Amino acid sequence: MSPRVRVVGRRVVFAAVVALQLGLVVRGYSSDHKEFAFQMFPESSTWRADVVRVTADGRRIPIERPWSGYRWDDLVADRGLSYPSVRHHADAGLDNQLAFLDAALDWVADNTPRDGDTRYLEARVTSWHNADPPEVEVLRSREREGAG
Amino acid sequence: MNALARFDDLLGRTVSMRALALLRALAGPVVLLHLQPFLSDAWRGETYRDAFYEPYAAWYPELPEAIYVGLLWLAAAAAVAMSLGFLTRVATATTFAVVTYNLFLSTTHFHNNRAYLVVVLGLLAVAPCGRELSLDAWIRHRRGQPARDPLAPAWPLWLLRFECAAIYGASGLSKLVDPDWFGGTVTWQRVVRARDDLEAWPLPDWALSALTDRGFHTGAAKLIVLTELFIALGLWWPRTRYAAVWVAVVFHVTIETSASVQVFSLLGIAVLVIWAVPSTRDRVLRIDSTSARQARLGRLVGGLDWLARFRVEPAPPGSALAVTDRDGTTLRGAPAVALTLSRLPLTAWFALPALLLPAVRRARRAGDEGITASVASR
Repeated sequence: MSPRVRVVGRRVVFAAVVALQLGLVVRGYSSDHKEFAFQMFPESSTWRADVVRVTADGRRIPIERPWSGYRWDDLVADRGLSYPSVRHHADAGLDNQLAFLDAALDWVADNTPRDGDTRYLEARVTSWHNADPPEVEVLRSREREGAG
Repeated sequence: MNALARFDDLLGRTVSMRALALLRALAGPVVLLHLQPFLSDAWRGETYRDAFYEPYAAWYPELPEAIYVGLLWLAAAAAVAMSLGFLTRVATATTFAVVTYNLFLSTTHFHNNRAYLVVVLGLLAVAPCGRELSLDAWIRHRRGQPARDPLAPAWPLWLLRFECAAIYGASGLSKLVDPDWFGGTVTWQRVVRARDDLEAWPLPDWALSALTDRGFHTGAAKLIVLTELFIALGLWWPRTRYAAVWVAVVFHVTIETSASVQVFSLLGIAVLVIWAVPSTRDRVLRIDSTSARQARLGRLVGGLDWLARFRVEPAPPGSALAVTDRDGTTLRGAPAVALTLSRLPLTAWFALPALLLPAVRRARRAGDEGITASVASR
């Protein structure tokens, strides 16, 4: 490799890494998961959710009850999602946590083949952003084909 | 020299890679700690696929379970080899590759401390950090082969310094611009929520009251934010660097005792070695080997001078211990001991405050003035 190529190569690599890092820091202010934005201990926010399975015949069954050989806390074992009805601290921010919960609903809907009853899963989430009053929102998984 | 030429000179100037070699050695155990939960799960027959996970992209390759588990164990072995400096380039690159692959398997794998680890491993993988403090160097020596040049272009060091500072800066900035954080709401709520844990600590009642008082946090939060920003900026200037390193160690130890941050504190403290001036053995420690105390210090330096700050030379019997600093200043006696200990990684944090003592400051000033007079008289 010629000296000139080395010199230009170093410039490009250095500038690219710096630009990428700064870009990811900026992105962190608008993204849910904030990868490489290094926003640490960002919030004291808390959340809890009542998660139910909505069956083909309209029943709303809490996921705390095992179904078709599945348990919610076995299916969703990470990121503080195992016991959603208990009020938890949102370690890396509310947006991050609720994005995980949203994705978890879809994952459970897609990965419980023995369940022939559930049409979709629904989470009624109550969240407290730092010291703000609680807010309620509803998250829903994809509709499962072949239910009921 | 124009700005671009100065920039090229900065990145291309050959400097000692000793600090990166030391960081490489320290990073191995950090990687093992990072991998431990994954390996524990794998030992029990569990992997990320057995429960909820969320790929970043559908095209990201997912390996058969046995191969995935094999990769984790390979990374652990590579981390040990990296730390020991055996087949260093391959070991470091392998460690980086597997840790990075595992991080990006699922959004649920992402944590800030793992991101920092990936950054550090990536830069160690491209830097020639196996030429010192390594089995590879020892094997070359045993075979009678010449040692490889310990100097190399500085750009990986500068990039890692940028990343290190950026992390403190990004964290501090995000808190600075958040009224809830800067105003103390976040820290106050977190402490109040952890009150039961705090009461288990041996704290007097007044301290507990203060820590859970809302007004206290109005000031404490600002101090935390300004501390992070001070570290981010202070590391860049020689006059503030030692203070920034000292504060950073306190910062990380405090976080480690108060929060669950996986490997972040260990990694954060280890990375601080990269702020050492990248030249080696440019300070001279003169020791009278007939003095038991001086001989003890000599052995201490021999064992703990991991960043190769000192050249140890014999002094005539009856001489006081003397250290000649990089700028030509010579200190003797207790100030020399303080300076020496302040430049060894394990003792630096404890010894740096001693440099502020009046006797040490006087001795350093006298040394400076001696050099100035000597230069003026030529």
